[in-house]
Amino acid sequence: MVGGLKRKHSDLEEEEEDEKWDWSPAGLRSYQQALLRISLDKVQRSLGPRAPSLRRHVLIHNTLQQLQAALCLTPAPALPPEPLFLGEEDFSLSATIGSILRELETSMDETEPPQNPAAPPSPQNEVLSQPDPVFLEALSSRYLGDSSLDDFFLDIDTSAVEKEPAVAPPEPPHNLFCAPGSWEWNELDHIMEIILGS
Amino acid sequence: MIPGLGALTQDTLWCFSQLKGTVEIGATEADIISTVEFNHTGELLATGDKGGRVVIFQREQESKNQVHRRGEYNVYSTFQSHEPEFDYLKSLEIEEKINKIRWLPQQNAAYFLLSTNDKTVKLWKVSERDKRPEGYNLKDEEGRLRDPATITTLRVPVLRPMDLMVEATPRRVFANAHTYHINSISVNSDYETYMSADDLRINLWNFEITNQSFNIVDIKPANMEELTEVITAAEFHPHHCNTFVYSSSKGTIRLCDMRASALCDRHTKFFEEPEDPSNRSFFSEIISSISDVKFSHSGRCIMTRDYLTVKVWDLNMENRPVETYQVHDYLRSKLCSLYENDCIFDKFECVWNGSDSVIMTGSYNNFFRMFDRNTKRDVTLEASRENSKPRAILKPRKVCVGGKRRKDEISVDSLDFSKKILHTAWHPSENIIAVAATNNLYIFQDKVN
Repeated sequence: MVGGLKRKHSDLEEEEEDEKWDWSPAGLRSYQQALLRISLDKVQRSLGPRAPSLRRHVLIHNTLQQLQAALCLTPAPALPPEPLFLGEEDFSLSATIGSILRELETSMDETEPPQNPAAPPSPQNEVLSQPDPVFLEALSSRYLGDSSLDDFFLDIDTSAVEKEPAVAPPEPPHNLFCAPGSWEWNELDHIMEIILGS
Repeated sequence: MIPGLGALTQDTLWCFSQLKGTVEIGATEADIISTVEFNHTGELLATGDKGGRVVIFQREQESKNQVHRRGEYNVYSTFQSHEPEFDYLKSLEIEEKINKIRWLPQQNAAYFLLSTNDKTVKLWKVSERDKRPEGYNLKDEEGRLRDPATITTLRVPVLRPMDLMVEATPRRVFANAHTYHINSISVNSDYETYMSADDLRINLWNFEITNQSFNIVDIKPANMEELTEVITAAEFHPHHCNTFVYSSSKGTIRLCDMRASALCDRHTKFFEEPEDPSNRSFFSEIISSISDVKFSHSGRCIMTRDYLTVKVWDLNMENRPVETYQVHDYLRSKLCSLYENDCIFDKFECVWNGSDSVIMTGSYNNFFRMFDRNTKRDVTLEASRENSKPRAILKPRKVCVGGKRRKDEISVDSLDFSKKILHTAWHPSENIIAVAATNNLYIFQDKVN
């Protein structure tokens, strides 16, 4: 990369000039959503053959939490393009982050005791909470490039889901969430509503 | 050279001295320099690179005949310190990149240094061999065994001079003590111990013992989902062997005393500057993350580097730094783009000069900055091939932040963010600096009058 800064997202170009908080609610919201998208992108890309940088991961995670909090607090604009997802996005977002961190811990943690016993015994026997199978499935399907929704139907126990038939939600803007894990969770929920309703 | 002449007075001019490294065409990612360090006398200069190699330069003796040519640094030894590894259990590659090199003070004819990658610290001995034994009875000059029946007399082997050979041997390997990535190593002033720090833990080692280390700091939460802060750098006090500091990704520094308890989870001092509410943004925490912490040579201050500033702290004042220097504040309005292209995560180092009067740190576009603590003057210089003529004086550079750009200024949007100066070193007593620019090492000296 040479010369100036690369700008992939056109909605950032205006915001670049002044990154303070006294914008119009709609402009602030789209800025926050763009940051959210970039952050999730980073989390997705950071899991590769090399052990990821924990520092980078923690910093992105903390930024994501701030964005999440800001998106909850900021009131939705009068004509919301995608408001129905806002309630669920909190749950799916934090769960996605949580599962990513758990997966990170699984890959990085001491699965065998280090050959250098620490002289003051530090608590080595942490119990890893079992990662949510649904989310790990979503994550692994993303990694393998297979994001077919059919697999979800096979594995999900649908007997507990009983909801009022709902109007089909508008298509979530695909540029909002790059991480199919969280998007597909919302999509699944609404598809189940449609199926059970009909 | 008298320490104190490091001040950036009107008389101090920096000149190009040497350029080491590969030419642009042949450069690979393995050649990227990842650490630079002078030894305690300044006689040796070591670099580590992404390919796991260590190159040591030695300063040639100054010649009385060539007063204008101060001792130049020439290659003294090159060796492969670390190799890439693969952790089969976790299916993860372990990079061979040398994260840090630290020299031990010289105690005999040999030189010792510590080098580390993400997981393993090694103690290397670098020694000279300029004599060779000759006249063995059982071997001939090529080393082949002689038929004992042909030996009729005995002789005593003698040492004969040979061409100087510098050999590096690994004397200790300190492995398997770090689950997370090692970011710092620091030799204790007792010269018997050293510490290694990763993202969540700090271990104390004795140089003689490789199969055991003491864990002295552990900030790993019981539930990893609660993790919000990591250790970013650590260093021992230059004189007090019981004292060390470590910095965090949240912009805090903790000073610990090992006499207080075996596990130094509770700090003796806690340094943190309150946040400026007018500058608050989503990136506040990321840019407050400290990338380097260094004690002054006197031991009275510490210097920290975060993304936009360098701060000097007095050990007796915990609630704010005594000095703050803006490295490249013009980037503050670009943080979103720098977050997007990952530059915001770059870890810049900072260094003191020998007298603690000037501090130096790197920036982008191959710029590096020096701040004189006494005169409050600062200068921006550039490590570039265009300024690489012998004894060429470096011209101060300036970044234009807006409005009319002068002829020799460069605008913020023209800065090359792929050319970053992350690693620099300052000779312990003279005005000689080593600046690593990607795969090249620049050596600059102040002008000899």
